[in-house]
Amino acid sequence: MTDEPTAGPSLAPVSLDDPHLQPYAKHPERVQVLAALSMIIGFLGFIGFGVAYWVSDQNQWLGATLGVGLLGLGAGVIAWGKYLMAQGPFVEERHDFHSTEAERSAMTAAIVERGGMVVQRRKVLGGLAALGAGTLGVVLAFPLIRSLGPKPGTTLFQTNWKKNSLLVTTEGRPVLASDLDTGGVLTVFPQGFEGSSPDQTILIRLAQLGPEDPPFPLSAPGRTDWGVQGYVAYSKMCTHLGCPVGLYQEQDQVLVCPCHQSIFNVLAGAVPEFGPAPRPLPQLPLKVDAAGYLRSQAGYDQAVGPGFWERP
Amino acid sequence: MRTLIRGRFALPVALVGVVGLVGLVAFTPSAAQAGPAPVATAPTATTAAPTAKAPAGAAAHPTATAASTASPAAAGTSVTGSPLTSSHGITYYEPAGSLIAPGQALYAASCASCHGVDAAGSARAPNLQGLGAGTVDFWVSTGRMPLANSSVQATRKPPRFNRLQTLEIAAFVQSRTPGLGIGIPVVNLSQASLAAGNSLFTLNCAACHTITGAGDELAYGAYAPSLHLATATQVVEAIRSGPGNMPHFSEGNITNSEARDIAAYVTEVIQHPVDRGGFGLGGIGPVGEGFVALLFGVGVLMLVAFWIGERS
Amino acid sequence: MIDSSLRWVDDRLGVAKGGRTFLDKVFPDHWSFMLGEIALYSFVVLLGTGVFLSLYYIPSAHEIIYHGSYLPLRGQKVSEAYASTVGLSFDVKSGLLMRQAHHWAADIFLGSIAVHMARVFFTGAFRKPRELNWIVGVTMLILGIVNGFLGYSLPDDLVSGTGIRIAYSIIESIPLVGSYIAFFLFGGNYPGNGVIIPRFFILHVLIVPAIIVGLLAAHLGLLVKQKHTQFRGRGRTEHNVVGSPMFPTFMAKTTGFLFMTTAVIFLLAGFAQINPIWQFGQYQPYQISYAVQPDWYMGWLDGALRIMPSWEFVGFGHTWPLEVFLPAVLFPGIIFNIFIAWPFIEARHTKDLAYHNLLDRPRDRPKRTAAGAMMLALLFMVFCASSTDVLANFFQIELNYVLWFFRIVVVVVPILTYFVTYKICQEMRHAEGVGKRKRANVVVRTETGEYETYESEARPGDGHEEIEAVPVPTFIDMVPAELATGAGVRRVMR
Repeated sequence: MTDEPTAGPSLAPVSLDDPHLQPYAKHPERVQVLAALSMIIGFLGFIGFGVAYWVSDQNQWLGATLGVGLLGLGAGVIAWGKYLMAQGPFVEERHDFHSTEAERSAMTAAIVERGGMVVQRRKVLGGLAALGAGTLGVVLAFPLIRSLGPKPGTTLFQTNWKKNSLLVTTEGRPVLASDLDTGGVLTVFPQGFEGSSPDQTILIRLAQLGPEDPPFPLSAPGRTDWGVQGYVAYSKMCTHLGCPVGLYQEQDQVLVCPCHQSIFNVLAGAVPEFGPAPRPLPQLPLKVDAAGYLRSQAGYDQAVGPGFWERP
Repeated sequence: MRTLIRGRFALPVALVGVVGLVGLVAFTPSAAQAGPAPVATAPTATTAAPTAKAPAGAAAHPTATAASTASPAAAGTSVTGSPLTSSHGITYYEPAGSLIAPGQALYAASCASCHGVDAAGSARAPNLQGLGAGTVDFWVSTGRMPLANSSVQATRKPPRFNRLQTLEIAAFVQSRTPGLGIGIPVVNLSQASLAAGNSLFTLNCAACHTITGAGDELAYGAYAPSLHLATATQVVEAIRSGPGNMPHFSEGNITNSEARDIAAYVTEVIQHPVDRGGFGLGGIGPVGEGFVALLFGVGVLMLVAFWIGERS
Repeated sequence: MIDSSLRWVDDRLGVAKGGRTFLDKVFPDHWSFMLGEIALYSFVVLLGTGVFLSLYYIPSAHEIIYHGSYLPLRGQKVSEAYASTVGLSFDVKSGLLMRQAHHWAADIFLGSIAVHMARVFFTGAFRKPRELNWIVGVTMLILGIVNGFLGYSLPDDLVSGTGIRIAYSIIESIPLVGSYIAFFLFGGNYPGNGVIIPRFFILHVLIVPAIIVGLLAAHLGLLVKQKHTQFRGRGRTEHNVVGSPMFPTFMAKTTGFLFMTTAVIFLLAGFAQINPIWQFGQYQPYQISYAVQPDWYMGWLDGALRIMPSWEFVGFGHTWPLEVFLPAVLFPGIIFNIFIAWPFIEARHTKDLAYHNLLDRPRDRPKRTAAGAMMLALLFMVFCASSTDVLANFFQIELNYVLWFFRIVVVVVPILTYFVTYKICQEMRHAEGVGKRKRANVVVRTETGEYETYESEARPGDGHEEIEAVPVPTFIDMVPAELATGAGVRRVMR
């Protein structure tokens, strides 16, 4: 690309003794044998892969044969290139690839003057073209962005937990107050929304209290009657990044988020004790209905899960 | 030839050698995995089964490995006593009354110093009364008890007592509170569903024990142990008794048939993972994989580059 | 034959002259210049294996009942995406090999980009006139990380699903527009309305790779146009390149290297299991496994998230989730912007506007080297912080102490690294012959009991540098002189 065009190739006798043309290897014939052996190993490896494919689908045989084949071929080709070809070193000149000052000025002038000439004479056309293109850019963004999904609206503030929602397991089985023993833990959903991400709730039985007993004393102000018969329920969505807080340490009475190890104190209303989670897990107020099933007193009193801008 | 090996070929030769060695070693687990690996030889699969595959197909049925590890009466002596309850393949036994007397002697020698002569507990160790034979069997048969230092979480060790002695101790503790607590479960895995066990394990166990059952560090110095040595009986005992920080799953929470499915999944899949792809790399996920990719993958290729290129 | 075909093509395209120049193109031989090739060739493997996988993978969140040959999943409700990924691992011959090769190649692709980038940085190869190529490279790194994450997410297994959940929350944390972006991308509140798998799929297999291919072409085109940098040495100046010719020497070496890269990837794919999704099971938003981490190239973000204190700010009627936004959005944003801007930051600092075709030895630029080491230390520390639980378990230390350890070392270690590296560089510059290849001093005891000392013979390659470089001749056959028939002397066109 930068070579001078020459009238014709200049032929000069060059001795083959020229050190640049000598192979790198001291004993090329031995290297050749080794490279050939290596390539034969490669060839056998590929044959092996073909055979392995037909007689077995064991991943190890396929990987081993293909790997050894490629290794052998690769090593052989590299040895050929490195030891058996002209060792050089060879040199190539670099040339400035930037243009001359005159060429640069000419380019600038062409853009400025021609462009200026056109735009200045036809200002209206220039303006209209820019307007059209700009409008196109804006309106194209509508389908490109707006069609993707719904606006958040109030979705992030809502769950399907309502007043009197029946607590059910992932299979939809309603939960009786007698189902769990002390230290028991269960993932529950409002009936009809089994498996729903924002509704996932972790139900813990802290003590085996009877219907007449006072609720388990949580050290969370204003929530004295949110538990029932020793049960408490918290949103299972971590307030850090929304992972399910499924790790319950019964003796320590903490819930731990398996993703980033935020630690929530169960007895204090799931306030975070350690780690990156900023807020307590929202608590679901519970009650037991006449048939002995666990129900919610009300939905969550705040948005569940991680923080977001619209959250007040 | 000698000079060649010693000379510039040392690197590639060593390379091929190392890779070959790794390959050889790697074949071992892939052959070993072929035992109870839960892969069906699907009728549509076009496998011309290699020798290693044949037993896998035979053992693939969930019935094949039924209850082989689950009987507490290893010697076949009638020591299991009377069944307390039985449903869905799990029968909970109370140890035979004839075991109480020898159990008392063993208990007095090894347990009473902490748990008290009557198993009522002390300042150093908890009350064992009412926990049932199954709880005692779990702690003793996993080697966690007797414990030298009660300030740290007990770790799984080779058990101090043999099967009969363990049952004797359990019989003695059970005899303090007859009928209370959990009996020793005998698990019949023949009707177990691995698929149900899989999803139950993921929902209830993986948050602490990890999805591969490798276990991991929890909050405040506790840890979830690996499940790779647990027997079906121990799995059910742990589910029912909730040892240490583990939650406590009653029958209203995890039914007997569900507990049996989990036990089957742990003993047949978790303990014999289908490592079809090769080395499992410890089942600790992308951390191990990243190290292998960087140290072995990129590292070896850098060595290859070092061979190909100039080094000064 | 070759002559006539060439004539046919040249009549129409006129390639002979430029082509000849191209074949004569000289590449420097230093081993560290081949690190980028690892990335290039693992990308080739990625494309090849990726095409294979795309023939079997079904990008759909639609729920079906699994009926494949992995027993513990039989009868479970799984998504088509998950079922097809398990299917191609179990029921498609050599499918697992290809899947594992694809995943290993991705890990190696990004790893080799990292070492390649470190080489370019520490030797100053990004300086004028190569700033644009540096930016192209950094952009490919970012796209590579993004595409790695997208691909990792496609199987819809428990571990990757958790990653998507986290990604959703990270997007949600962006002030003002976060929840809108998240809703648009996922088609609603998490987990969305089932569009995320097909969207990730088309991004992963078409859009991002197409951009990477374009940038790759630009990267290599710029390399050819600007010619490769070289280290200082005999006969090497700012105005030449010394090394091997494109054809055949470099081509042989690099083709061999392609095979070697592929070999390492497929050996790993054969023997080292990666991401065994059948063991993880189908993702459900309410299920989780402990000890889940992203792939290593995302690990540093996960680590940053872990060690960040819980600094959520509530004010002005809004929630500012800084405990997420700072480590997961701002932190990588700053890091990548520093990468992109570095050539200009350095040029402004050194006021050096000259062309540079000769590379620096890292020790000769102590400040740059120390800054680079500091960045590596920072990234390595946050990377390690992503496995606090694994480390705590391994060393049996309480988790909270491990976390506090990382909160401290993430600040302290990079600063220390800077000063230590700076000092080492200065010491090395003043020490004689550091890093020089030494010849052995051989001590011989003669028969008379005297001792003699002499320097050993040159090792292979030592003498090589002492030959003056010459332009590439046309004829570079390796036939030894005594075997060359005919005239005995070949005519060589200069």
